[in-house]
Amino acid sequence: MRVPLIVCAAALMAACGCAAPAGAGPAQAATARFLDEVRDGQGAAACALLAPEAAESLAEEEGGCASAVLRLGLPGEGTVRQVSVWGDEAQVRLTTDTVFLHRFAEGWLVRGAGCRPDPPGPYDCEVEA
Amino acid sequence: MTRFIRDNALALFFLLAFLASLVGQAFAGAADYNQRQITGGGEPISPAAYVTSSEYAVDVAENWQSEYLQFLAFILVTVWLVQRGSPESKPPGQEGRESDREQGVGRYADEGSSRFARSRGLAHLLYANSLGIVMGLIFVLSWLGQSVAGLAAFNGERLSQLSDPLDWGAYVLSPEFWNRTLQNWQSEMLAVASMVALSIYLRQRGSPESKPVGAAHGATGVEG
Repeated sequence: MRVPLIVCAAALMAACGCAAPAGAGPAQAATARFLDEVRDGQGAAACALLAPEAAESLAEEEGGCASAVLRLGLPGEGTVRQVSVWGDEAQVRLTTDTVFLHRFAEGWLVRGAGCRPDPPGPYDCEVEA
Repeated sequence: MTRFIRDNALALFFLLAFLASLVGQAFAGAADYNQRQITGGGEPISPAAYVTSSEYAVDVAENWQSEYLQFLAFILVTVWLVQRGSPESKPPGQEGRESDREQGVGRYADEGSSRFARSRGLAHLLYANSLGIVMGLIFVLSWLGQSVAGLAAFNGERLSQLSDPLDWGAYVLSPEFWNRTLQNWQSEMLAVASMVALSIYLRQRGSPESKPVGAAHGATGVEG
């Protein structure tokens, strides 16, 4: 009884794309690129790595997205503690920050950054779509 | 070929209806999913991509598990409980597993019986309960599938809402899992209760699921 259940669970995990590791590397790499651009003062390049709605929310700020994203004081890239990927959504938990991403046709883009836990609700993010 | 179709028309009809419904669910589900994706700033996906998604898998599995639970419960509960007047029930007084003579097993088996009906031991025990075992196994696996696919779909939604994902243990205790489960169970139990009770007083001429039109309301276990 136990073996078929385990086999089935594994098959289902594989079939529905729910296994966490798939896409973890690209999501982590996209997070690192975004935080590197912010650290290096490359606002326009950082904004290009934001999901459209997140970029639009900053575009309304003074100086547009490229300027606003640098003023947020996002923490630099720390050590990665955990990467979770479920479908087209990902969460990268760093020692310094928590970043949320969505997988678009062009790859992983940042939906939320500078996020702090705000239980029992969702994270409170400096940038969010 | 024609004879094969005629002899198996009932199973073939429901198999084709199942496949047509499953395909229809894929297209309707993809359209619904894409509407939500666009509203949430995401991108639409094709029906082919949708059928490999956890959203499709959980919607399929949650219905499968409840249907198999319904039939499992009906198969097992009707061994021990009766409903006077229902064609779905044994007559009152015959509750239980019944004698070997009534069940045609052991020395009461005839030449048409399976050899497992004649034999004793584990093989006989398994064969004598095989319908319930297989339906129960499919129920458990479907429910497990619902929990795994549901976890994936739910965590995708949680991440899109900037919330932490849950692990499997937390998910199977979550209101989301039990809401999905119980909303299916309640409808299945209502359908069985309706069938058992309505078939006492109502008739469907020619259907073996109904008593003959002329049968008395009090007649139990009579199929038309």
